[in-house]
Amino acid sequence: MQSQPKLPLTSAERTRSALASIPALPFNRTTIVLDPGHGGTDSGARITDRTVEKDVTLALAFRLRSLLTARGFTVVLTREKSEANTPTAPFMPLTLDDRAGMANHERASACLLLHATPSGTGVHLYASELEARTGEVTAGPWLTGQAAWVGQSRAMANEMGEALTRSRLPVVNGAASVRPLDSLTCPALVVELAPLSDDAETINDQSYQQQVAQAISGALVAWQTTAQAPTRLPAVLPGVENRP
Amino acid sequence: MSLRGRRIVFWIMIAGIIAMGVVLFLHRQQARGRVEHLADDLPMDAPYTNEQPVTFAVANDDDGTIATTTRQLALPTETTARARALLDHLAAEYALPGSGHPLQPGAAVNEVFLVPLPVVGHAVDSSAAAAGAGEHSATVLVAPDPATTVNPQTPGGELAVIDLRGSFVNEHPSGVEVEMLTLLSIIGTLHANLPQIEQVRFLVDGRPRETLAGHADLLRTYPSRETVTRGTQSSLR
Repeated sequence: MQSQPKLPLTSAERTRSALASIPALPFNRTTIVLDPGHGGTDSGARITDRTVEKDVTLALAFRLRSLLTARGFTVVLTREKSEANTPTAPFMPLTLDDRAGMANHERASACLLLHATPSGTGVHLYASELEARTGEVTAGPWLTGQAAWVGQSRAMANEMGEALTRSRLPVVNGAASVRPLDSLTCPALVVELAPLSDDAETINDQSYQQQVAQAISGALVAWQTTAQAPTRLPAVLPGVENRP
Repeated sequence: MSLRGRRIVFWIMIAGIIAMGVVLFLHRQQARGRVEHLADDLPMDAPYTNEQPVTFAVANDDDGTIATTTRQLALPTETTARARALLDHLAAEYALPGSGHPLQPGAAVNEVFLVPLPVVGHAVDSSAAAAGAGEHSATVLVAPDPATTVNPQTPGGELAVIDLRGSFVNEHPSGVEVEMLTLLSIIGTLHANLPQIEQVRFLVDGRPRETLAGHADLLRTYPSRETVTRGTQSSLR
């Protein structure tokens, strides 16, 4: 009896077999990455005559770290001083790609890019503008790594927005392309702190910053149980043959 | 020859001279007409359209919106010059006193380049026979990377590469919203007037730059799209 010749796999079968061999990467539900924007010679926006953005973002990051640590999270800050230098080479300025790399290595349940602005009021939350991708490509392009996580990021933005609204803080929830948000492989948001009122000095109000930090940390406690890692896709797309 | 014969010859010669003068005058007029006709077809100035309604997507910092505004303008007919003129008019709009999105006066754009999509390149063909000294290496066409490139939605779709001036970028106000409004305003204005542009990329003084003023991403390729929704609201909020 002759054995039947083995037929080549269809593209759907190749995809299924490839997906079965790539499990979703686990992530640390109790780890949060905070990136206080700017630092060093990059002061960011001038909020008032005496306040620059890099100082406001660092102050908010310290408040968030305290509250999140008290709730059992491990908090990783990309910078802890006014200067922004790489941990391995202290005299090298921290680039935006360095910040994204630090965040991605943590496999955190949330990555928050902290910024501040003199315009508008309250807290502005921005998720990536990238078109959502169904799964994470194992060797995807650096500038669109967030695409697989956009759905999670938007869900986190909604949860955080509701928490801030419950705290009676003005919230703007939208989408923007802010470096290095699109390179992050975690649920990621830009959290931009604006003054509480028309007076720009209110951005330095300690009780206001504390109120914002409490609302965000409370939202992250709820978020850590709902966050889901995206499925992983093979690097070679179905139907595209490998080159010899 | 008799006196009468001489007179006849004299008047015949006079008539011939006059006839030749008339013929030369007519030839000269015809030659001048031909030259003037050719001069009419030569491009002495850049061709402009007549004044026509032009749509701008204008940002407003107060409410974070982008709304359409129409102006009567004469623009260059050549596409890249038209794109640049549109952006110069947009920057001038923001430099006006009382602007809802105040920016420093001055030109914003060095140049706009339009590249047909998908973008393809060339690479040295390693499989070809080695070229001798002084000969050119064989090259092959490199197809766009499907993972990173968006194919044109319609035939003739183009990528607009906008080379911003360093002076414009360095003076731009810093902040997520204000920077995104500038980019969305540029993208929306190009989309409204040059629908063949499907993607937009930015350079600053001919080089890639990470952000506009510390926030908005200048490294990514933006899809050209309508940035005004319901007449007044932008997609930013």
